[in-house]
Amino acid sequence: MASFIIRRLLQMVPMLAAIALLIFLLFSVIPGSFATGQQDEGLGLDMAVVQRMRAELGLDDPLHVRFGKYVTQLATLDLGISFRSRQPVADLIAVRLWPSLQLTIASMAFAIIIGLPLGFIAAMRPGSWIDLGSMVVAVSGLSLPKFWLGILLMYLFSLTLGWFPSFGYGDGGLYHLTLPALALGVSPMALLARTTRAAVLDIMNADFVRTARSKGMNEYRVVVWHVLRNALVLVLTTIGLQFGSLLGQAVVVEKLFAWPGIGSLLVDSVFQRDIPAVQGCILVITLFFLVINTSVDIAYKLIDPRIRYT
Amino acid sequence: MKIRANLALGGGLTALALFVGVFGPWLAHTDPIMDANLMNAELPPSGEFWFGTDQQGRDIWSRVMYGAQISLTVGVVSQLINTFIGTALGVTAGYWGGWWDDFVNGLTNLMLAIPSLIFALAIMAILGPGLTSLLIALGLTNWSYTCRISRAQTLAIKSQGYVQAARVLGYGDIRIMFSQILPNTLGPIIVIATLGMGGSILAEAALSFLGLGVRPPAPSWGSMLSDARETITIAPWLSLFPGMAIFLTVLGLNLLGDGLRDILDPQSRSRR
Amino acid sequence: MKRIALLSTIAVATAGMLAALAPAAEAQTPRSGGTMRMTAPYASSFGSLDPHASGRAQDGVVFLALHRQLYRWDSAKGLPVPELITEAKSSAGGTVWTFTLRQDAYFHNGRKMNADDVVYSFTRLMDPKKGFVGARWVRLIKGAVDVEKGAAQAISGIRKVDDFTVEITFLQKVEPGYLFYNMTTSILAKEEAEKADWPNNPVGLGPFKFKEHVPGSRLVTEKWEKFYQPGKPYLDTYVIQIMSEAAARDIAFRNKEVDASILGPVQYVAYGRDPQLSKHLLEVAEVFTRSMVMHNEKKPFDDKRVRQAINHAINAKLIIERLARNKAYPATSWLPTTVPGYDPALQSYAYDPAKAKKLLAEAGYPNGFEFEWTTSQNESWGLPIVEAVIPMLKQVGITVKPKVVEVTVLTDIAQKGEFQAYIGSSQTGPDPLQTLRCFHSATPRTSCNVSGYKNADYDKLLDEAGTTEDPARKLELIKQANAHLYDAAPVWFFNYNKAVLAYQPWVHGLQANPTELMHQYPEDIWVDASSPAK
Repeated sequence: MASFIIRRLLQMVPMLAAIALLIFLLFSVIPGSFATGQQDEGLGLDMAVVQRMRAELGLDDPLHVRFGKYVTQLATLDLGISFRSRQPVADLIAVRLWPSLQLTIASMAFAIIIGLPLGFIAAMRPGSWIDLGSMVVAVSGLSLPKFWLGILLMYLFSLTLGWFPSFGYGDGGLYHLTLPALALGVSPMALLARTTRAAVLDIMNADFVRTARSKGMNEYRVVVWHVLRNALVLVLTTIGLQFGSLLGQAVVVEKLFAWPGIGSLLVDSVFQRDIPAVQGCILVITLFFLVINTSVDIAYKLIDPRIRYT
Repeated sequence: MKIRANLALGGGLTALALFVGVFGPWLAHTDPIMDANLMNAELPPSGEFWFGTDQQGRDIWSRVMYGAQISLTVGVVSQLINTFIGTALGVTAGYWGGWWDDFVNGLTNLMLAIPSLIFALAIMAILGPGLTSLLIALGLTNWSYTCRISRAQTLAIKSQGYVQAARVLGYGDIRIMFSQILPNTLGPIIVIATLGMGGSILAEAALSFLGLGVRPPAPSWGSMLSDARETITIAPWLSLFPGMAIFLTVLGLNLLGDGLRDILDPQSRSRR
Repeated sequence: MKRIALLSTIAVATAGMLAALAPAAEAQTPRSGGTMRMTAPYASSFGSLDPHASGRAQDGVVFLALHRQLYRWDSAKGLPVPELITEAKSSAGGTVWTFTLRQDAYFHNGRKMNADDVVYSFTRLMDPKKGFVGARWVRLIKGAVDVEKGAAQAISGIRKVDDFTVEITFLQKVEPGYLFYNMTTSILAKEEAEKADWPNNPVGLGPFKFKEHVPGSRLVTEKWEKFYQPGKPYLDTYVIQIMSEAAARDIAFRNKEVDASILGPVQYVAYGRDPQLSKHLLEVAEVFTRSMVMHNEKKPFDDKRVRQAINHAINAKLIIERLARNKAYPATSWLPTTVPGYDPALQSYAYDPAKAKKLLAEAGYPNGFEFEWTTSQNESWGLPIVEAVIPMLKQVGITVKPKVVEVTVLTDIAQKGEFQAYIGSSQTGPDPLQTLRCFHSATPRTSCNVSGYKNADYDKLLDEAGTTEDPARKLELIKQANAHLYDAAPVWFFNYNKAVLAYQPWVHGLQANPTELMHQYPEDIWVDASSPAK
């Protein structure tokens, strides 16, 4: 087990390196540069200032020099200095980590609390109206653009009903977290409901369950013990995959609700061509994704040691 | 019963979307781009303008009709690119194995790790806004799942001996891939592609919201919805109709995909 | 010796206009205490908290609370007025200025401001290793360029006379108010600016001191008790909430979660129709001119008749009325209404497609022509405008090919001259001379002469206006130059921005700042007891 974990962790290193290279190349060919982007409505930019900015930020260095600098920085776990705020990117990201995690965890919690039972109920009565109804509800959640859903939620729950504030971080409590978490959580909820239903149905029809049933075991015990435990494996994988990608999907929701997460930092930085910040954000997001996936794989193995990996 | 309901509803909605996509220009009343009369800006639905008019005075009904073409193009073409890349990589990786397999696996892991919306955003920033860039961006970022599945299918088929037999008969690699493997991978791939179409349409809307979608004067549903988001309190029809159009189309595609999976995916055949 | 009173003649001209736009005089007495929740609407985060490093409007909202400059913009008078100085005397034809600093200004760390701080701040701006935006204003000081090039450590033109007097020698005749009201020339304390955590802990001379920054969400400041204006600031807490999404801002404002919100054209109409909301709208003609800049050095726009034809072919008033929902003023030449030199007698180009066709035929394009129009997605001066214009130009035979790019790319393209025409917004004030110099033939494209307009007569007008001592003559020359531009039409004159700020009924003291409506001096703001925020 220990060697498995170590192997997995080591595999993450070349992956991150490849991503770093890919992102670096991608953003070195992007048109528009930070210095010229630093103006608002029609404020004439002073060319001398632009040139000094370019020199200060190293924008004029040739590609291999920039890449060399970047690699040496990464080796010392230094994510560089943001163009916009002249602060270390690591600091900028660190402040936003907790809000991002809050949002991701809350959305996932919502998805699990609603999605799991929904899928379960649908699977217990396959083919019934309950089944169809819950699946349509679930699929509907996957069919709406997130920003649209967010605005509707704002309009309904903030403006009309006044239950929640329409934006912002507040003190980071549930009061402000609820609407963004709902907007973000609806699609993993739908996916989870579907997967749970499929997984439960699969197991319910498996031989050993039928055997247990035929032996006269209490249906409830059969379900809870065998079904849940085996379905858990598949469900866990889905949760893992979704969890990892939620951080990236949160971009739109963060921007809409002014939630101070990594996603909105990333988008802003892309548009303002703040390259170090972009690179740092993407690396952190993918690191998060990889760690989650590895954890899920480890949990997978713990639950069912029979599973082997190629 | 569930499966038939899935297929019926999903198929129905998708067919409706396709119908509008094909016949949209005839169903529309006016030119969605040129017939902009500022004197008619933001009128609510009426006998003359079934869905009302937008900020530039254009008939929303016509724009929604024409918009179907764009949204469906986005969905279909991006999925075609996805499927092509994913299948080519996945089948060859599973078939030949070795270093190529390792490389494709690594590449797939890479693509799965980077958030696809951000990747698409970056590509669009490089290529500039527009429909072509959007198609390329979406096509290049969403093939990983197809690749995984087609590779798994290829490995499964390989282990069943048909491939060996064909080789003994002297069939070349390419012929084997096309005649033995591809037909058997089609099922799950079609399902993924159908579901992916819905995802692409939603991605277009998200990219429009962020500022890099298909841009006017082209009447894409995503950009119409995004442009109208400020007016929800004043002129809700500006966002209601494109929003409903997106919702119904993606819902239809999702239900259809689900229904197809229930039929085509061998694993789920037992689930009744 | 002359005094600042030189500018009073210009002030008279604009005061009347601004008085009409400024909110009605407050009859109530300001209440001390309370919280104001301002919104920062232009981006999803702040760029930099270092006022020397960022010229962005979004960051400016913060800088005005935390920092101070030698001058401040007085919206009521339409002029820069002394802030950190008590007096400014000029000599030697306006090239040497002696500033007397106030002696009651304290940094948030408790130390009193003195002349060393001014010298330090201006020298810091010219640091050759940093691209500080404020350098453009300080560069006009003699010797500043040497520091920028690394040839000198100190600016030779700045001389500390005593602890509270500074003498500055400029390279040319200037009016320092227009240079040093800019937030990028804020006066900083050396011991604070050189600290390692300076970016996270901004210390300045402003009426509020830094309390908390949640990046991407909000910045909280609280009252600085030792601020030099007695009784001010009124507020205990000044919160700047980041809200770049207009839809979200609208909902938050209606929900009474924020106290002020900048309105876009759509919201402007909605709020205008609402009986309650329409009572509390602050409108001002900002000093920005929106135009389609044509490449004056390439065909077909090198011909004045073609450019005039374009101005006649487009019904700008209709676009402003319908698309911009009257949230803009039709442009009559380059200078906007709130800048001295604006001539109310000038009428904007009449919508006359027939005349346009005639001019085109005269210029040799009887069947029109085709051109590529580069634009961004901006709702006020971008693609939606282009879309509205396309059918109008088609009417006179001109075909438009829109090319959509991001704003940062647009700036690159404009400065390199890689365009036929592009639509954008230019800052056209508050200093009219500086604004008009953008069409001087000696001004390079990278500086601001993006259109490439070159005309010797025009140059002469500006050169004389720059050297004349007589303020009346200067104003007259500026007007003539403006009128010249109207005739030469180097751009399609579209509109001047009307900025609109919606505020809650309990907010008072907002200023109609034409340089940027979001730039409010927060020491003048107060909230009455009916505010829900405590």
